Amino acid sequence: MALIPAQARSKTLRACLLCSLIQTPADWKKVGCPNCEEVLGLKSQPEKIAACTTTQFDGVVAVVDPDQSWVARWQRTAKYVRGMYAVRVMGRIPEEVEVALERRNIKYRPRDQTEMD
Amino acid sequence: MSDEEDQRMYEHEPEEDPIGGEQQDVEPDDEEMEETSSGKGQAKRREVYEDEEEEEEEEDDEEEEIPGRRGHKRIKRRHRHMANKFVDLEAEVSDDDEEEEEEEEMGADNFITHADDGDEEVTRRNHALLDRNFPEEDSRSPEEIARAIAGRHRDRAAPYTGDMSEIPQRLLMPSVHDASLWQIRVKVGREREIVFSLMRKAIDVEYTARPLSILSAFQRDSLPGMIYVEARSAKQVQQACQGLVGVYLSRGIQLVPIEEMASLLLIKKQENTLTPGTWVRIRRGKYANDLAQVMDLTENGEDVGVRLVPRIDLNPRDDGGLDPLSKKRKKAAATAGTTRPPQRLFNIDEVAKVYGKSITKRSQFYVFQGETYKDGFLEKDFKFNALIVDDVNPTLDEITQFTRRDDGGEDSMVNLSAIAEASRKAAIAVLQPGDHIEIFEGEQAGVHGVVDEISGDVVTITAQGLDIEGQKMEMPARSVRKKFKPGDHVKVMAGQHADETGLVVSVADNVVTFVSDMTMQEISVFAKDLRTAAEVGTGSNIVGNYELHDLVQLDAQTVGVIFKTERDSFRVLDQNGQVRLVQPHQISMRRDSSRAIAIDSEGHELRINDNVKEVDGEGRKGRVLHTHQSFFAFLHNREIAENGGVFVTRARALASLAPKSNVLKLATSDLSKMNPALAAPSGGMVGSGAMSRGPRDRHIGLTVTVVKGPNKGYVGTIKDTNGQIARVELRTGNKIIMIDKEKLFRRLPDGKLEPLDRVNKGGGGGGGRFGNMGPPQPNPYSNSNGGSNFQGGRTPFGAVGRTPNPYADGGKTPAWNASSRTPNPYNDSGKTPAWNASSKTPNPYGDGGRTPAWNASSRTPNTYATGSNSTGGASSGWGGATPARTGWGGATPGRATGASWSSSTGDGWGSPARTGSSTWDSSTWSAPTPAAAATPGAHLGQTPAYAAPTPVAHQTPAYVWSAPTNAATPGDAMFQSYNQSLDKDENPQLEPEWIFDNILTNYLNRLKIIIKGTKDAQYLHGDYEGRTGVVVAASRNPDDYQQTARIRFDNGEERSVIAKYIVPQEPSKNDEEVLTLAGKHRGRPVVIREMSDDEIVVSSRQNPADIDNVATNMVVPLVEEGGR
Repeated sequence: MALIPAQARSKTLRACLLCSLIQTPADWKKVGCPNCEEVLGLKSQPEKIAACTTTQFDGVVAVVDPDQSWVARWQRTAKYVRGMYAVRVMGRIPEEVEVALERRNIKYRPRDQTEMD
Repeated sequence: MSDEEDQRMYEHEPEEDPIGGEQQDVEPDDEEMEETSSGKGQAKRREVYEDEEEEEEEEDDEEEEIPGRRGHKRIKRRHRHMANKFVDLEAEVSDDDEEEEEEEEMGADNFITHADDGDEEVTRRNHALLDRNFPEEDSRSPEEIARAIAGRHRDRAAPYTGDMSEIPQRLLMPSVHDASLWQIRVKVGREREIVFSLMRKAIDVEYTARPLSILSAFQRDSLPGMIYVEARSAKQVQQACQGLVGVYLSRGIQLVPIEEMASLLLIKKQENTLTPGTWVRIRRGKYANDLAQVMDLTENGEDVGVRLVPRIDLNPRDDGGLDPLSKKRKKAAATAGTTRPPQRLFNIDEVAKVYGKSITKRSQFYVFQGETYKDGFLEKDFKFNALIVDDVNPTLDEITQFTRRDDGGEDSMVNLSAIAEASRKAAIAVLQPGDHIEIFEGEQAGVHGVVDEISGDVVTITAQGLDIEGQKMEMPARSVRKKFKPGDHVKVMAGQHADETGLVVSVADNVVTFVSDMTMQEISVFAKDLRTAAEVGTGSNIVGNYELHDLVQLDAQTVGVIFKTERDSFRVLDQNGQVRLVQPHQISMRRDSSRAIAIDSEGHELRINDNVKEVDGEGRKGRVLHTHQSFFAFLHNREIAENGGVFVTRARALASLAPKSNVLKLATSDLSKMNPALAAPSGGMVGSGAMSRGPRDRHIGLTVTVVKGPNKGYVGTIKDTNGQIARVELRTGNKIIMIDKEKLFRRLPDGKLEPLDRVNKGGGGGGGRFGNMGPPQPNPYSNSNGGSNFQGGRTPFGAVGRTPNPYADGGKTPAWNASSRTPNPYNDSGKTPAWNASSKTPNPYGDGGRTPAWNASSRTPNTYATGSNSTGGASSGWGGATPARTGWGGATPGRATGASWSSSTGDGWGSPARTGSSTWDSSTWSAPTPAAAATPGAHLGQTPAYAAPTPVAHQTPAYVWSAPTNAATPGDAMFQSYNQSLDKDENPQLEPEWIFDNILTNYLNRLKIIIKGTKDAQYLHGDYEGRTGVVVAASRNPDDYQQTARIRFDNGEERSVIAKYIVPQEPSKNDEEVLTLAGKHRGRPVVIREMSDDEIVVSSRQNPADIDNVATNMVVPLVEEGGR
C-alpha cells in the first residue's frame, strides 16, 4: 500500500520512472518507492528522487485491486502495491539504474510508451 | 461537498492511519531489515535465479488456491525470503569478487556503495539470525511465526523483479474475463481529484460492510471531463462514485468497448521532446513569448537550460541613490508593471555604464543581477512548464538575433540547420507522394526513395538503388528529407524566396543552393521548402493590387507597364521607355486600357492582344498589352529578354500581323470609324484578340412609339438593337418585334414624340457638356420645356455614368484621336454625333433667346463659366499632349489660363460667354464644347476637383452642395454657382443670408433693402417691419452668433438687424440699376430692360444685347451711384 497524496491537484506530485507510482515529494523522501526501493533506493536521497522520479506524467490510475485489474496488468503495475500510478511517465531512469536492471536480467520498459510491443 | 470535506471523508486521520502506525511500530525492525536485505542478498538471488523460477511456479499454483490477496503476498514474500537466506549461505563466496568488480565499475555511485557498505556486517548478522531463529521458530505456533515474519518483512523493500516485462504488450490486451471499463462524465478539471478521491474512498471503506468493488480508476489528461472506472458492473461503479463531488452520474455510465480499452491507456499527448538546439518560447514573465534556444536539459526533462536574448533595462528609472533604501525602492518600481526593456544582447560596457560594478566575470560568463550571461545571451534555467514547445515557429528575424554573434563567422550553415531543425515537424507537412527523399538518420540512413504514401508521421517509401531497389519501407517522416541533386530544376514553395525557380547547383545536407532563373543569383534554401518543378518564373505575379503587365499610372504624366514583380516592388517600363523600380504605394492607380483605342500605321484600330510588329526601326514583333493616349503602345514579346519582353513603341509605327478585312479598312481621317457610337457593332479586326464589342446602344431601354408600319401607334421599350434593327417589347400583347429604328420615335413621358436619333444625339451632345459642367447644367433645362429638360437632365447622365459613352472615356474618345492627328478636328465636326446634333438642330446657341431649352442655358451664364472652367482644367490636364489644344486655346484664350477659373465671379467667366454670344455660330463655340465633352474621363481620374462632378453628385446636387463653400477653388466656385442657379431655377428663393454673398461685397452700401418678416417673429416688436434702407455693413459673424447686418434706414436711423429679415426691395421701374443674384450676370450691376410678374429681363449697361432673364426676387435694386 502506497501513500496516497492528499493533494491531487498539486503540481509537485512525482511519478516513479520505473514503476510510475505517484507520490508527493515528501513521501518520496520519507518512504522511498514501495515498489522499486530495492533498486532505486530513493528514501532520504533527494538527488536520487530527482533523478528517478518526474513531474512529467500524464494520466492517473487509482489501482485499487492490482491483482484483478486489467488496467494494472496492462500498465504492468499488477505486482506492485496499491496506490496511485501514472499512465504515462516521461523520461527514462538514469543509465546506471538501467545497467543495474540489465545485470539482473530485468528488461527495462520506459514508461513513456515509446517502446511498445 | 468541498475539496476539504471530500478529503476528510476519505482520508485517514493521522492517528488512525494504519500505514503510519505500522511504520512507527516497525521502525527499528525496518532498519534492521533493510540492512539485511541490502544489495548483497539480492545479487545472490540472481545466482539462483533458476531455482527460484521453479519456486515461483509453485507459488503461482498456490496463488490460485489461496484467497486473500494481502495475506498471500506476504506469505509469498516470506517464502522467497526464506529461500534467500539459505541461498545466501551457499552463494556467498563466489559473489564477493563480482560485487567488488561491480563496485569498481560503478565508481562513486552512492546507491551501490551504500548497499555494499554493510556487506560483511550483514552477512554475519544474517547468519547469526538464522542460528538464533531456527529453534525459536520451531517452538512457536505457526500463526505466531507467520505474524512475526510478516511484521519483520512488512515494510522492507521488496525485491524488485521487474514488471512482468517479459510479456509483450499485445498479450496483455483485455479479454472477456477481465472487468470492464466504464466511462463516467465528471466536472472538467476535477478528473484527477476524483480519481484520487476514489482511491481514498476505496481504502477507507475497505474493511467496512460495503467495500468498493472497483478494481481501478483512471483519468487521462487528453480526455477532459471523463474518468474511467474498472469494475465488473455498472452498479459497482455507481456505488463507488456515489457522493463524490463533480461526478455526473446522471449523465450515465458508459461501457467502454473491449477493443477500445487499450487505446484509452495508449493515448499519447503530442510528444514534446526537447533536445538541445530546439527553439522554444518562454511562457510568461519578462521574457514572455521570447524565443529561446535549448542548451541543456536535466535528465527528467523538467529543467531546461536555455539561452535567449536578454532584456536588460538600460534606463533604470531610479537616478541612482546609493543608499540601500532607495535601491530597494527602485527594484520595486522596476517590477511594477513597467514596459519591458527591449531585447538586446548583453554588452558588458553598456551594462557597466548603467549599473556600475555589479557585474562579475567568471571565465567566459558574466554574472549580473544573479543571471548568467555568455556571448551576449542570457543563459537561464526554466521549468519545462514555463516553456512553450509547440508551434514555436521562430521567424527568421528572431533566429538571426541568435546568429548575430556569428557575424563573419563561418558556421552560418550550422545555424541554418538549426532553423531547419526548428521547423522539422513542419517538414512532415511538406512531403508529398512522389517526392524524392533521402533517409538521413536511423538504420536506413542514406537510402533514397520515392514517397508512396503518407499517414500521420509515417511515410511509406519505395527504395531506390542498390539491392533494395523497389522495396517498400515505412519511415518516420522526420527521418527523411527531400532529396535534390545538382541539375534539378526546383521551385521554392515557402519562405523568403517563395516562388523562385532555379537550377540546383549544390546540395549540402538539407541546404540546397540553386541559381535563380530570374535573378541569376545563387539562393540557398532548405530542401524541405523546395519541390522539383518544370515551370520557370516567379510564380506569383501579383503584388498588392497590381499584377504583371498591368498598366499603371505613376504620376500625372507617366504611365508604365509592370514587367517584373519582385517581392514587394515592381519593375515598370514607362511610356518613355525608362525602367523604374516602383513600390506599390507609388502607383496611383491601375489604368484600364481595354477600351482604349489607338490606330496603327495602316489606320486599323489597335486592340489589346493584337499581334503587331513595328513597321520601322527594329521591326520588333509583339502582342499589344496596352495602348496609352492613342500614341504609345506597350508590347510584349517573350523572345525579347530585355525588360521581361515588354517594350514601348508608338502606336502609329505598328502594323498588324494578322490580315484585316477590307471592309473595315477605312480612311485614317474617318473619325466615325473610331466613334463607337457610330460604328456598327459588327465585326472587328480579324485575328484581333479582343473583338470590338461596340458600345451598348443608347437606345436600349428607351420607351418608343412605332410610327410606321403595321404596328404603328404601339408603345414599347427597346430591348436590344442590332445595327438599325431594334427589338422592341410592345406594351400591348407582351410581344417583341423586330423593327427598323427609323420607324421608332422616342416617346417622352408627356406623350410627345421625338425622333430617336435626335434624342440620342441631342442628349449625346449635351452629355458631353454635362460630364464637365455637371451641376449647373440640369437647371437650365429644368426650367425649360419638359421635353428637352427630360433629355438634358437624364440622358447625358446616363451616358456618363452608365453607358459606354465615348465621352466618358476621356483620352480614348475619337475626338481625342482626332485631335492628336489633325490640327482642328472640328472642321470635320459633321462626323461626330455631337456635331451632328448641333448641325441638325437650328443652332441652339444662336437661338438662345427664344428656344426655351437654350434659353435656359443662356440665362445661366455660370454654366458656361463652369464649362469653360472645366475646359480650362482639361487643357491643362492634357498639357502638351494634344496638338489640338492650341487650336482651342486660340479660340478661347480665357479658358486656357488657370486664372480664369480661380476668379469665380470675375470677368474671366463672363468674357468667354460674351465672346460666345457675339460670335455665336462661329467655330469658337463649337470647338470648346466637344472638347469639354471629350474629357470627363480625364477629369474624373486625374484631379480631385473634377472628381466632384460625378454623376452621383449630379443626381443629388442639392444635398451635396448646399453647404456654403469657399470660393477659392474652381470646384467650389462651380458649386456655388450651382447653388445659386438651383435656387433660382427650381424655386427661386433668396437665401436668408444672401446679404453676405461675396458677390455683393462691392455693392453693399448701395443695396436697397426692406425689412420683412419681423412682425411674425416679433423681432423688435415688429417696429421695423416694412422699413426700407440701405446696407451699411454686413459681414458674416462666427457661426455661433446671429448673423446681423448694419442698416441705415431711410429716416437716417442706423442699427443692426438680423440678416434673415433683410430682403431686397422690389425693383420698381425699367432702367433701374439692379444687382442680380442669379443668372448670367450674377453679381454684376445690370439694368432692368423689361419687367413681368415674376421675371425681369436685364442686361448690362455696356452691352444691352446681352440679356438675361432673372426672377424678380433675385435682383437687388441699387441706389444710384453717388446718390446715397
